[in-house]
Amino acid sequence: MREIILACLTLGITGFGFALILAFLSRKLKVEEDPRITQIFNMLPSANCGACGFAGCRGFAQAVVSEGKIFSGCIPGGQELNEKIAQIVGVKSQAVTKTKTIAVCRCGAQSGEKKESAKYEGPLTCKATHIIGSLDCTYGCLSYGDCVKACPTGAISLKNKRIYVDTKKCIACGKCIVACPRKLFELVPVLESIGAYAVCCNNTEKLTNVKKVCSRGCITCGICTKVNDSPYYLKNNLSRIDFTKTKEETPLRNGKEKCPTKCIFKLE
Amino acid sequence: MSSLFAIFISAILINNFVLYYFLGICPFLGVSAKAESAFGMGVAVIFVMTIANTVSWLIYEFILIKFGLEFLQYLVFILVIAALVQIVEMFIRKFSPPLYKALGIFLPLITTNCAILGAALFMISKKYNFLESVFYGFAGGVGFTLVILIMAGIREELEYSDVPVVFKGAAITLVITGILALIFMGFGGLMSA
Repeated sequence: MREIILACLTLGITGFGFALILAFLSRKLKVEEDPRITQIFNMLPSANCGACGFAGCRGFAQAVVSEGKIFSGCIPGGQELNEKIAQIVGVKSQAVTKTKTIAVCRCGAQSGEKKESAKYEGPLTCKATHIIGSLDCTYGCLSYGDCVKACPTGAISLKNKRIYVDTKKCIACGKCIVACPRKLFELVPVLESIGAYAVCCNNTEKLTNVKKVCSRGCITCGICTKVNDSPYYLKNNLSRIDFTKTKEETPLRNGKEKCPTKCIFKLE
Repeated sequence: MSSLFAIFISAILINNFVLYYFLGICPFLGVSAKAESAFGMGVAVIFVMTIANTVSWLIYEFILIKFGLEFLQYLVFILVIAALVQIVEMFIRKFSPPLYKALGIFLPLITTNCAILGAALFMISKKYNFLESVFYGFAGGVGFTLVILIMAGIREELEYSDVPVVFKGAAITLVITGILALIFMGFGGLMSA
């Protein structure tokens, strides 16, 4: 009997002692958190996509409250949500990007167009094949689908060794940009009721070296830059599009149609 | 001094908590995917194990033995560990938010890490004195960190290898753990006794 009482007492007192210490410390070491963080966090879509540039929705909410601005806003959340968030922290939601953007893969070559002179056996991920790989073009899409796996909305698909992005599903979170070891993805603005245009080549070599490895690569001929009001310009042996210059589709389409290797694509 | 050194080597290499006693396998499997988080977990285990052993030894020696309640050691040690982890978490959250973020969910998970309880129970059954117990806890944590870091290194390489589908994930990790344990058996000859 004595043992039972002693055991109960010892356990009870140790437990109580620890409880007191914990209670005391939890008061003493309390971390104050702004209630607005939880409020904003609850409003966010919880996709944790990271398009805002922060680590998940919670990180974004914390940054918004602590910095008092909404940065580039929550892209999947849209204009309406960003205005609400801006109201909570008491700023205007000017920073929100109004134009919808989507991710495009800057390699438009299909199987057969990009040359593969070796047979590859090994881990079937882009990350691994990027180092050795069988693709002759050291800039092009390896087509093992790391981006397909990374995409949270299933917008990216792989057909005939070419990457297709579904413009309706893409939320422009930028996960594919991180996933691609060759940094092929880029966010491009979608022009209203027109769609998005992109030069789908990333090979910065000169004409002869491009021709050797791919029949769809940009050969920097500059024909697209010579159409009327052309938004195209040449940089690093590649044709690029200056989206600040374009409001209409015509010059974009003219450039696309004149391209001799057909490496300019329209995404719908 | 030589006994301290022996305890140190033994707890790290020969009687490693993960590979010899197979304790603490849960965090070992859960956190060994990335070297960075594995190291964070290891440091947390070293920290908690050392403190838990210190406090457990004091309570055992000055309360349990005094009242002849040695059979309560399991309950009391769990209590001590749970409370300590809570306290450590509060301190880290207050004074080092980056570390708190890095450890995340794993810090509270240490509460149920059987390696910690194992260390406390072993030091009693091995009849260590105070200094030896503290050292034993520290060395046990170092051993855990060593193994979890080795595992994290292997698993980072594993990402690039062609693992058969049926072995993917936990299966291949456990197979590797077994092989690692076999390798660590080789350290058994380091000390005779």
